[in-house]
Amino acid sequence: MNDAIRMQISAFVDGELPDAEADLLLRRMSQDADLRKQAAEFLEIGRAMRGEPGVPGVERLQERVSAALNDRPMAADEVLPELPAERSIRPLVGVAVAASVALLAIVGLQFSPGLDGTDAAAPAGAVAEVAEDTTYVVPPRPVDDQLRQYVMSHGASASELGGNSMNARLVTLRLSEEALAKEESEDEAAEEEAADPMPTQQ
Amino acid sequence: MQLPRLQALIWPAVAVGQLFCTAAAMAERIEPNEWLSRMGAAVQTTSYEGTVIRIEDGKAEALKVVHTMSDGVIRERVVAQEGNGIEIIRNGNEVHCILPDRQSVLVEEWDDQSTLFSTLPTSEVRFGSEYDVSIVREERVAGRQTILIAIRPHDGYRYGHRIWLDTETAFPLQTQLISEDGMALEQVKFADISLNKTIEASALAPSYSTENFRWLTQPSRHNSHALETEWASTEMPQGFEAVSTHGEIMPGSEAVVTHIMYSDGLASVSVFVAPADSSVSEGPSRVAGSNSYSVVIDGHRVTAVGEVPAKTVEQIATTMTRL
Repeated sequence: MNDAIRMQISAFVDGELPDAEADLLLRRMSQDADLRKQAAEFLEIGRAMRGEPGVPGVERLQERVSAALNDRPMAADEVLPELPAERSIRPLVGVAVAASVALLAIVGLQFSPGLDGTDAAAPAGAVAEVAEDTTYVVPPRPVDDQLRQYVMSHGASASELGGNSMNARLVTLRLSEEALAKEESEDEAAEEEAADPMPTQQ
Repeated sequence: MQLPRLQALIWPAVAVGQLFCTAAAMAERIEPNEWLSRMGAAVQTTSYEGTVIRIEDGKAEALKVVHTMSDGVIRERVVAQEGNGIEIIRNGNEVHCILPDRQSVLVEEWDDQSTLFSTLPTSEVRFGSEYDVSIVREERVAGRQTILIAIRPHDGYRYGHRIWLDTETAFPLQTQLISEDGMALEQVKFADISLNKTIEASALAPSYSTENFRWLTQPSRHNSHALETEWASTEMPQGFEAVSTHGEIMPGSEAVVTHIMYSDGLASVSVFVAPADSSVSEGPSRVAGSNSYSVVIDGHRVTAVGEVPAKTVEQIATTMTRL
């Protein structure tokens, strides 16, 4: 699965995918178990981060889809606060997004192996060519002085471009603090060595 | 359920969803880019006081922030509410970083006009063609109504952004840096905020008497000079262009390091070319939200650093060459 399709799924799960792309993605999902699995993982991550147990509100989402399809009003407890006239259509966005997410849930449930014992294999050529995935996460390791200087210099230059100043400046400050602590520690060690140049023999 | 029957249910629902989304988009009078332009003005002119929660690498910290601008002079104060209680006091270009537990003050010069919540570059090349910008939905943040703007990259060489803008002022009340997996790598969010209030001078004063503190002046970040370089990447990820090249002398060293800054209009990557005996460790590293990759090329130590995915700095560093 390439980066582009993974980001498309992420955006879709977050309700951020433009209509035309969402349409195409749904078509692909209906034919590709890997795509559905990836979507399920994103939903699971989101749910875990929000501390929500179980599948979040699928039943209500299905009700919303039905309501949208049947053109009947939503349940009383779903009615959103009244908005100014020019923005009165905004609640429909929620229905549209809910419809998309509900559809995803329905598609996922219908095609998940283990539920109905079947899996829909993707027809040849149904999905765009899959590129080699080279994304990886770098494990933490001690930072040497030179790299710290580079990160600070980069942060300062990035701030001057105007981006992400809050993070850049706090990170730069924290690194300055680290460098200061290291310098103090080295000074203390040097003072101790000057005071007692010959280590005590046991 | 048979596939054709399922499809028969799905496509009408998709069509209905599209209909609603299209109608909602038509009702939205302000374009996403117009929101971002308003945000750019708001972060410069809005006075505010509030509590910010900053989350990075799963660690959260609370900060009290105050910002005002008068007569073209930016004044800011940031106080960490946990840990060692560091304070940043900015008065125009002069910045004092107070480290109370070390009884020290770091003095820095910031000669740019970007503020704490600049969030996005002010460059005219912003975004280029590597991102989509869209309005997602309305939500409440810090007790105020916001509109969520999503900036989504077209490939995995850069991160995405989500920005929640106050619908009244376009001030960013929450920002997220989004990885290629859709995870929030960094998040800055106001828990409470007062916008456009009169800021008293006392709110910008340090909490500590620094009279007996040790005052340390940071080396100027402009201990550098513009230069031309023969170094360039042969496989630069699409959209990144060199925006500046400087020769820099890093503290504790006498060697001049070539610093090339690349940007796609939103993400930026620095490439440092130093003598090969430079002490940077080979390969990938991660420092405070940034990825880096270092490699020896043609007798030089080449290191790429940036708030971009690991594969981006690796590709840039390993394809640098002397033309």
